[in-house]
Amino acid sequence: MALKIIVGDVTIGVQGKDFSYIFSTQTGGMESLYREGKEWLYRTPKPAFWRAATDNDKGNGFAYKSAMWMGADAYVRCVKTEAWMDKNRIAVPLSPGNNSYSGREYCDIFQAKFTYEAPTVPKAEAEICYEVVENGDIHVQVRYSGKRDLPELPVFGMRFLMPTPAERFCYEGLSGETYPDRMAGGEPGVYEIKGLPVTPYLVPQDCGVHMQTKWVKVYRKLVLDNTRQPQKETCLRFWSGEEGFAFSALPYTPLELENATHQEELPPVRRTVLSIFGAVRGVGGIDSWGADVEPQYHIPADQDIEFSFWIGGKESE
Amino acid sequence: MEGATLKNELKPDIRWLDDPEVFRVMQLPAHSDHKIYASEQEADEGKSSLVQSLDGTWKFCYSGDIKKRPKDFYKEDFDTSEFDEITVPCHIEMAGYGRLHYINTMYPWEGTVYRRPAYTLASDKIEAGCFSEAADNAAGSYVRRFDLAEGLRGKRVCICFEGVEQAAYVWLNGQFVGYMEDSFTPSEFDLTPYIKDTDNVLAVEVFKRSTAAFLEDQDFFRFFGIFRSVSLYAKPELHVEDLWVMPYLHEDNKSGSLDIRIKISNRNLQASSLHMTLTDQQGQTVGERSVSLQNTEENDICFKKPGLENIIPWEHHSPYLYRLQIVLSDENGTAEVVPCEIGFRRIEIKDSIMFLNGKRLIINGVNRHEWSAESGRCITEKEMEWDIACMKKNHINAVRTCHYPDQKLWYELCDKAGIYVMSETNLESHGSWQKAGSIEPSWNVPGSVNEWKEAVLDRARTNFECFKNHPSVLFWSLGNESYAGDVLAEMNRFFKETDDLRLVHYEGVANNRKYEDRISDVESRMYAYPEDVIEYLENNPKKPYLLCEYMHDMGNSLGGMKTYMDFLDRYPMYQGGFIWDYIDQALFVEDEVTGKKVLRYGGDFDDRPSDYEFSGNGILFADRTEKPAMQEVRYYYGTKDYCG
Repeated sequence: MALKIIVGDVTIGVQGKDFSYIFSTQTGGMESLYREGKEWLYRTPKPAFWRAATDNDKGNGFAYKSAMWMGADAYVRCVKTEAWMDKNRIAVPLSPGNNSYSGREYCDIFQAKFTYEAPTVPKAEAEICYEVVENGDIHVQVRYSGKRDLPELPVFGMRFLMPTPAERFCYEGLSGETYPDRMAGGEPGVYEIKGLPVTPYLVPQDCGVHMQTKWVKVYRKLVLDNTRQPQKETCLRFWSGEEGFAFSALPYTPLELENATHQEELPPVRRTVLSIFGAVRGVGGIDSWGADVEPQYHIPADQDIEFSFWIGGKESE
Repeated sequence: MEGATLKNELKPDIRWLDDPEVFRVMQLPAHSDHKIYASEQEADEGKSSLVQSLDGTWKFCYSGDIKKRPKDFYKEDFDTSEFDEITVPCHIEMAGYGRLHYINTMYPWEGTVYRRPAYTLASDKIEAGCFSEAADNAAGSYVRRFDLAEGLRGKRVCICFEGVEQAAYVWLNGQFVGYMEDSFTPSEFDLTPYIKDTDNVLAVEVFKRSTAAFLEDQDFFRFFGIFRSVSLYAKPELHVEDLWVMPYLHEDNKSGSLDIRIKISNRNLQASSLHMTLTDQQGQTVGERSVSLQNTEENDICFKKPGLENIIPWEHHSPYLYRLQIVLSDENGTAEVVPCEIGFRRIEIKDSIMFLNGKRLIINGVNRHEWSAESGRCITEKEMEWDIACMKKNHINAVRTCHYPDQKLWYELCDKAGIYVMSETNLESHGSWQKAGSIEPSWNVPGSVNEWKEAVLDRARTNFECFKNHPSVLFWSLGNESYAGDVLAEMNRFFKETDDLRLVHYEGVANNRKYEDRISDVESRMYAYPEDVIEYLENNPKKPYLLCEYMHDMGNSLGGMKTYMDFLDRYPMYQGGFIWDYIDQALFVEDEVTGKKVLRYGGDFDDRPSDYEFSGNGILFADRTEKPAMQEVRYYYGTKDYCG
């Protein structure tokens, strides 16, 4: 069955069996990801440029040198929206061009591309392209355009804020919390994690990254919908092609973690913050007061970074 | 200042706190940590009728202003009804008196009191009142009333303080019995002249600061008080004062010899004898010997047992222990039984490589502070056993007792578990030469300052005397981050001249090359960058190379371990290192907002200046759960065990 497309004045709806999505020119990306009676997006996903500084990031001056990526992460904005039905461009702005549509538009492939600009000096650019196929699976391509004269990045990825905390998540990848320079001990396997644990470092900091992941499924029960239909646990699945991705599933954004000096200062758990990373900087460990992360685990800003993954439900397994 | 050099009617003097040359007064000489029993049955059961614990509830008075401390509290008729109660062992700060304070290199009085160590900066005197009248000092006055347990009555009775921080005076029944410094080794006093069967009054006055503070500037929470166990022990008429067992393993790893030196005191001068048995783990007797003792107060006995065959060596994967049991008897039968577990192993340096039992030694180590989130450096047997199990599980084969000797039990557990120990002397004076990130040793102690020498040598001697029988101890370490000078060289000389069964380690070799040949058998570095390791090892290296601290696991860290582990394959002289460190130093407190139990670190107690979260660098969180980085440690330490 083909995808039904609703070209509104501000957003484009994409509907099929058991799913409906909304892409917005106003919020600059995917605004709604609704599957099996459940909304999965609390805010429109954006490119991720920052991790809550680790003790080593602070100690070796990385956080200082790369601080502008924190602002980039917080205030990145969408500067361009493009969309296609079966490769045919939908004019943006959507109105008044959308007066030519009938509400009975269908296609096999829907694509939307959002271009972002980050408030670094000079400005950095990134893109997120969504491609929705007939069964509702979404292929997401994320791209960072390398730019000279910018400091190294702590991460590059895409961050999903989900409306309520996950009950659990499962993934196939390496055991435990792993980083590019600390993953030899990670044992490949399928792991289930209850809740959204924050590794209780004395000072809250980036944590919970899982390298070399084939797929992750996030299970949520609770919804914010006031009609409160029976709350059933369903899952959203993210999977990768051959190359794998890194991810973290936490209840907090980097800035929430960054702001706390102790675990008990972290706010009550209200959301799921799922980050899918195409690049992660190592954590380092030679010392905590100056030694840099080894060179091969840096993320230079002058090189392009591209990665892609799929989003779908469990029924498409 | 040994007891023998003092006048009988010696009176305690608070000015000893100011004098680096007074650090032990009437203290018994340091000796082996052997256990004593009244019978073989007691020894088998591990319960001694000769020992009485004084742990528990004591009367206590805290004086934040030492001028207002109850000076007469030691008198027998002093009324302690106004005193509080405190648990022994426990840090005074953890009992709620005095502010908790975490600080790293800076001396804890930074920004509060101006101080220089006596006899530095061309000074030829001590500054009277430097500690004894100082506003930042504090005192804890402890009183414990006790009756002597049955098994101790009628005998010579001594008291053993296993750890009192940082300087303390002791009285029994109103009589002064001695003074102690060196917070982390046992201090013992003879109570015999004053002890009664019942109604004894023990008084201990503990000071937070003394000249020892300059030597105990470890990167940790700064506590004071009686924080390790206190016990009484009785010497039977015949008593092993000191036991020194030297098991030698020959090149073939099968044959060996045993040298044993025993100091025995004999009070009743009856005809007496010593019987000694060496048994293996199956209980089979390997050797046996009996001798008659001379009717003198002191017997120094030396045995040499050459030609031992079919020895099973002690090492990490096979920590085979033999049991040596000494039975002293007189006309009344068995007087005292002393068991001692020993292990045969051989550590040596050949062609600048360290070998254990002929195999290249690989140190997959960790630095371990004694720590509990509930009670600071006052830790329990259960926590120690947990630590051993954790190390075994994660393939950690070595521990550096940073930066002081640990509780006695720890060494026993390491013997049994096959954990190699670098037993570090209680010395760290980095505040006297590391200043705001630069090396500035203008008033470094101990340096080459003669007046500080004996106090520091005494710490080395006590470390050696206590733990000399433990096969797990492969290294004596002179201390940590104390720069280098003649005093460190003297410590090294003491260890080298005394003990040929172990190597000597000191970290400061790279900071003052002038002393490198006189302070350490190994090139020891901390946090060396990979390129620095390579630079040393590729330029005519003189000594085997160890990282006494590496992989600083503060917060989310421990990345890049592979680079260091690969050195093991690349350089035979690179022999591993000790991760910094084992457990986060943080304390459980009740959150003032939510009432929940939470972990707090430096600076969370209004303590200033502080080094804040720098107190947490463990591969364990402070509650002893493993950090995620542990799987990396387990992986590398598990795969790089034997190589080359």
